Amino acid sequence: MTELTLEHYLAVGTIMFAIGVIGFMARRNLIIMFLSTELMFQGIAIDLIAFGRYRLTSNPEVFFASQAFVIFVLVVAAAEAALALGLVVLLFRQKQTLDPQAWQELKN
Amino acid sequence: MQGIVLEQLAMNLAPAVADAQAISPLLIVVLCAVAGVGTVLMLPSRREAAFRKIGGAVALLAAVIFGATLVRFTAKANDPMGLYFWIFGAIAIFGALRVVTHRRPVYSALYFILTVFASAGLFVLLWAEFMAAALVLIYAGAIMVTYVFVIMLAAQAGGGELSEGEMQSREPVASCALGFGMMALLLYAIFDRAPAALAPVTTPITEDLSVRGLAHYLFTNQLVNLELAGVLLTMAMVGAITIARRRLWSAQSSDQTGAQGIVIGDDDPHSIPVTGTTDPRRKAYPEA
Repeated sequence: MTELTLEHYLAVGTIMFAIGVIGFMARRNLIIMFLSTELMFQGIAIDLIAFGRYRLTSNPEVFFASQAFVIFVLVVAAAEAALALGLVVLLFRQKQTLDPQAWQELKN
Repeated sequence: MQGIVLEQLAMNLAPAVADAQAISPLLIVVLCAVAGVGTVLMLPSRREAAFRKIGGAVALLAAVIFGATLVRFTAKANDPMGLYFWIFGAIAIFGALRVVTHRRPVYSALYFILTVFASAGLFVLLWAEFMAAALVLIYAGAIMVTYVFVIMLAAQAGGGELSEGEMQSREPVASCALGFGMMALLLYAIFDRAPAALAPVTTPITEDLSVRGLAHYLFTNQLVNLELAGVLLTMAMVGAITIARRRLWSAQSSDQTGAQGIVIGDDDPHSIPVTGTTDPRRKAYPEA
């Protein structure tokens, strides 16, 4: 009780993840929707590193494993950003808008 | 037999009854609801700007109350690093909220960079210096440059005017209810324990936990995974190039028009021009 606990960091990561979820659902701009997924990745990365630090025992591999996990999260985020933004540019060139609701012709 | 089981059950239940939860579920639900109302007001809509400022104030109020309840557990802290956690955490959450609620994508991207720097600060506090550096390099350096380029490429015609999609939100109330409901559930799960049971740091950081140790771990225990990550990145690069190379031809130069008068062309550089069509990229098959 005398210092920062694991739960402090988990709270920050959780709040960032939830804000990312809200952004992905509520916004009508493809670029901001993908920025929101990056926010979710960030929240998870904070959680992972905090777990690694606070569950650290005499075996240092716990700490390293959490960091390796975050490295792979970053790799997936980079790959996702490259592909998603390529698709966004392609979609934009066809309809001249970033609004995902312009692609609803299958809805009815 | 049954007596022992009941005794154990009572022992398990006793601390939960004696010590309340670190943060009561009711407070979490109320704060998340208040922040949700504030976020609904902050999301882009046709409302007056004053409503958005009120929404921001309401969300800020919820965040301050939540922070104050968390500060209680660190009241006796002698740790000078503790202050930085509050600064970085506040900046990260503020930036995240602005990413989601700002109307203009460029500002969203800049606020996201702010969030990345704050997260890197949190990583430094957690003694993950390499991850902090990697986060700034990869996110703020590489990924955000890509985003800003795409924002420029996809700039809507008409200069500074906001488009329909940027002025309005899609189901703001429902998505805020879902998102903040999930946040309340997760925070309840995190803080559903006695204040004394919150996990403090148990093991001090030693020198073998530095970047050198991480590198050794990555290139011995995780070698195959690291190579697979490289393969994944290469595949993503090839895929992105393939997507970006697709070209659009206007309908005038081709004999077949698709929807919207635009045809996605086959840009295979080795396609053989065949007689019977004016478009050299389009093969005409003889009707048998």
